[in-house]
Amino acid sequence: MKKILAVFLAVSMLLGLTVTALAEDTVALLVWVGDDADQAWINGVIDNFKAANPTTTFDIKVGIQSESTAKATVLTDITAAADVFTFADDQLGELVNAGALQPVSLNVEDVIARNVGGSVAASTVDGTLYAYPATADNGYFMFYNKEYFTEEDVMSMDAMLAKAAAAGKKVSMEMSGGWYMYSSFAGAGLTMRLLPDGVNNECNWNATDTPIKGVDVAQAMLDIAGNSGFVNQGDGEFVTGVKDGTVIAGINGVWNANTASEAWGDNYAATKLPTYTAAGQQVQMASFAGYKLVGVNAYSANVGWAMIFADFMTNEQSQVSRFALRGQGPSNIAAGESPEVQASPAIVALAEQNPYATTQRVGGNYWGPAASFGAIIYGGNADGTDLQTLLDNMVAGITAPVQ
Amino acid sequence: MQSQQTTPNHGKKHAIVRVGQALISFFAQFFRDLRDGDLWVRLSLVVFGAGYFRRGQIVKGILVTALQAFVFIFYPIALWPYVSKFGTLGTVKRAAVFNPVTLKNEVNDFDHSFMILLFGLVGILVIAAVVLFWIKNIHAVRGLQITDENNRKILQEMEKLEQLARQNGADAQELHRKMQVLKANTKRINRFSDDICNLFNRKFHITLLTLPSLGVMLFTILPLLVMICVAFTNYDQTHMVPTNLFTWVGLNNFKTLFTQSQTITFGYSFGRVLSWTLIWAFFATFTNFIFGILLAMFINNRKTHWKRMWRTLFIITIAVPQFVSLLLVRNFFANTGIVNTIFASVGITDFLKQIGLLSQSYAYIPFLTDPVWAKVMIILINMWIGIPYMMLIATGILMNIPSDILESARIDGANAFQSFRKITMPYILFVTAPYLVTSITANINNFNVIYLLTNDVFVTKDQLLANSNAQEVDLLVTWLYRLTQNYYNYKMASVIGIVIFIISAVFTVLAFRILIRGDREERFQ
Repeated sequence: MKKILAVFLAVSMLLGLTVTALAEDTVALLVWVGDDADQAWINGVIDNFKAANPTTTFDIKVGIQSESTAKATVLTDITAAADVFTFADDQLGELVNAGALQPVSLNVEDVIARNVGGSVAASTVDGTLYAYPATADNGYFMFYNKEYFTEEDVMSMDAMLAKAAAAGKKVSMEMSGGWYMYSSFAGAGLTMRLLPDGVNNECNWNATDTPIKGVDVAQAMLDIAGNSGFVNQGDGEFVTGVKDGTVIAGINGVWNANTASEAWGDNYAATKLPTYTAAGQQVQMASFAGYKLVGVNAYSANVGWAMIFADFMTNEQSQVSRFALRGQGPSNIAAGESPEVQASPAIVALAEQNPYATTQRVGGNYWGPAASFGAIIYGGNADGTDLQTLLDNMVAGITAPVQ
Repeated sequence: MQSQQTTPNHGKKHAIVRVGQALISFFAQFFRDLRDGDLWVRLSLVVFGAGYFRRGQIVKGILVTALQAFVFIFYPIALWPYVSKFGTLGTVKRAAVFNPVTLKNEVNDFDHSFMILLFGLVGILVIAAVVLFWIKNIHAVRGLQITDENNRKILQEMEKLEQLARQNGADAQELHRKMQVLKANTKRINRFSDDICNLFNRKFHITLLTLPSLGVMLFTILPLLVMICVAFTNYDQTHMVPTNLFTWVGLNNFKTLFTQSQTITFGYSFGRVLSWTLIWAFFATFTNFIFGILLAMFINNRKTHWKRMWRTLFIITIAVPQFVSLLLVRNFFANTGIVNTIFASVGITDFLKQIGLLSQSYAYIPFLTDPVWAKVMIILINMWIGIPYMMLIATGILMNIPSDILESARIDGANAFQSFRKITMPYILFVTAPYLVTSITANINNFNVIYLLTNDVFVTKDQLLANSNAQEVDLLVTWLYRLTQNYYNYKMASVIGIVIFIISAVFTVLAFRILIRGDREERFQ
């Protein structure tokens, strides 16, 4: 109840603020970036933007809002959210569904042409471009320590686990979470995706009539989980493990690249995900391709200028400086071709994984049931429940209509 | 209305019956006022101030009429648009077209379901208030009329008496006495200044409480009513305002809460979460209560040295903000946390495996990731956080126990345990009973401990719970939080909120009735 009241007060306050803002000639914009460390970069972008538009007076303020939770904050009260905000591409569907995103209506062809196809697809719903691609590095891949693995080893999970077990070390992955767990099922050709309604899911992970059945994948995961060379870790634990040397390889993302390269030094390497054994065959692990996108609030009072700024914030110049200052891989084609970008192992690994990656379009009901299933499998299915039953329950939860 | 049919058990008559009777008599009064009132009273139905003008209360008449005019002009403009759509909660969806010339969106005149719900409710409350005022107003002007007519009658009588006296030349003193008696029967009709004076004297409570009551209405009752209303709508992720609309769905959400199928598992989750909520509330309250008192007694014991130091040491846990210590503790007890590292190297982890407390498959102790371990840990950590508070309270009480009672008990040969059981404990219980009741209710809604210790750490292995976004360690209130914060399921959260309210209310009323009876004090003496 307090929440609703707070929202109500915030709305009335905002109405008051907009009225005063309208009375002035300056264009006021609030921009949310993902991390405090982005400040230097975004301030540079703002200076360049002002220089490029000398005839208009701007009042651009910067706020910090993590990309991974931007949706939650925006949807709590769209009218109080920033005019321009950065978010992870998996949130696009729900943001569009709630009407929070302004369709890109200025300079559309250029935005589409200058970014890699995957990032444009990840910004598009029903043929309408809803966001500006900002980075193409939000997916995951395999980190490894060359001291323990050869380039041959990292092609297959089995070999990696065997080596790690022999060395008394661990290969890390978050199995009890929907994001990474997706790689096993999708790799085996099973599907889980968002329905056209933008909210509910379609999922056949419990299929019994596919070349590799759902139960085969579950059994394979169970085998991996039971291997003494494997450990299930969240992001924070992975960092701890890499630092203290217990983890010598792991599936994770660009955001931990620095940690790994600092800990392993010259032995730091990265590549695409390995294959694993399901139903007697080698299956390439799939992944979610991840992009960071910049969205414009459909309720912004200066929606046109907000679009022009978002466009500027994601152009080649801004993405180059973003890579230089923050190490984030560009979605801009020209920026991505620079030798500096091509020299980053993490970004090369992402490119190698790209053929097996799908855009992350997932309804909210996916995460809970998927995480629960992963946790049961990692716990070794202690109750001994029939795997098909576990799969059926998970699919029922994932596909349960949002109600 | 006089109640002629007063029965011997009148006092125990059912509350609903009594409310009904009051309502009937209220409206009957209104119709009698109208029937007996003169033209001006009836005119007050249309012009609220008419009756006051007729009786010479000009300022009051102007004020009342001005208020009426304000409401009648303001209402159709500001509130009626919302009230008229209250039945559907809006039908026009937002549609925006970008204008590249002005660089602005051109937006249609769309309906905002939540605003309609909120201001529609305000509008309905205002109508109710106006009707109440209208009826009360008629009664007031009718009262004025009666007073006025009465005064006139007495005045006439006095004139008559005076005339008679003049004709008959009667005793002046006798006349004066009679006139005095009559005069005493007249009632002065208040002038405006009298009314103002009254607000500072006889009706001072109105002056004092108007603002707080308005505040309570606006900041407590209104949001509460809105939240209750949301439970009867389909306000969720697929119906998010302001872009989408939501509407009334009757009792559907309450049905969902008690439904159990493979896709809808709210019924199952509700049962699980509710039972853990109650178990938690019981243990969290009584562990803190008992151990807090024991700790206070140990420190208060005559043989304990450095009492102040001990007390300070325990109070330090209060000085550190709770959420900081909870997040730290969460990291200590993580699967790869410091406690697990120490336990593994000292051999406790293996020992637990040997005695069968820990399954062989675990390489660590799942302090906060296994349902049973996590529940025990949460209660233990809560003790560490809560005991110092209870110790503080108990210390104060212990110092207040009259030492002569304990002294005489000792002289009579009571040992320490006996005097604790017969004197100290009843005394503490008597003083802390209200605290105990409120802390059980507070623990039912104890969000911090559960959420901060298990968020991002605990993943449920119960698929039925997972399918309705619940976990084994969830209290109703943390479940509610996750439903709103992560899944925007406002309607189900609102239903659960109502259930929490009912549980807390019933529990509190019962507990107060049992624990805090009027005769407790005498019994203690």
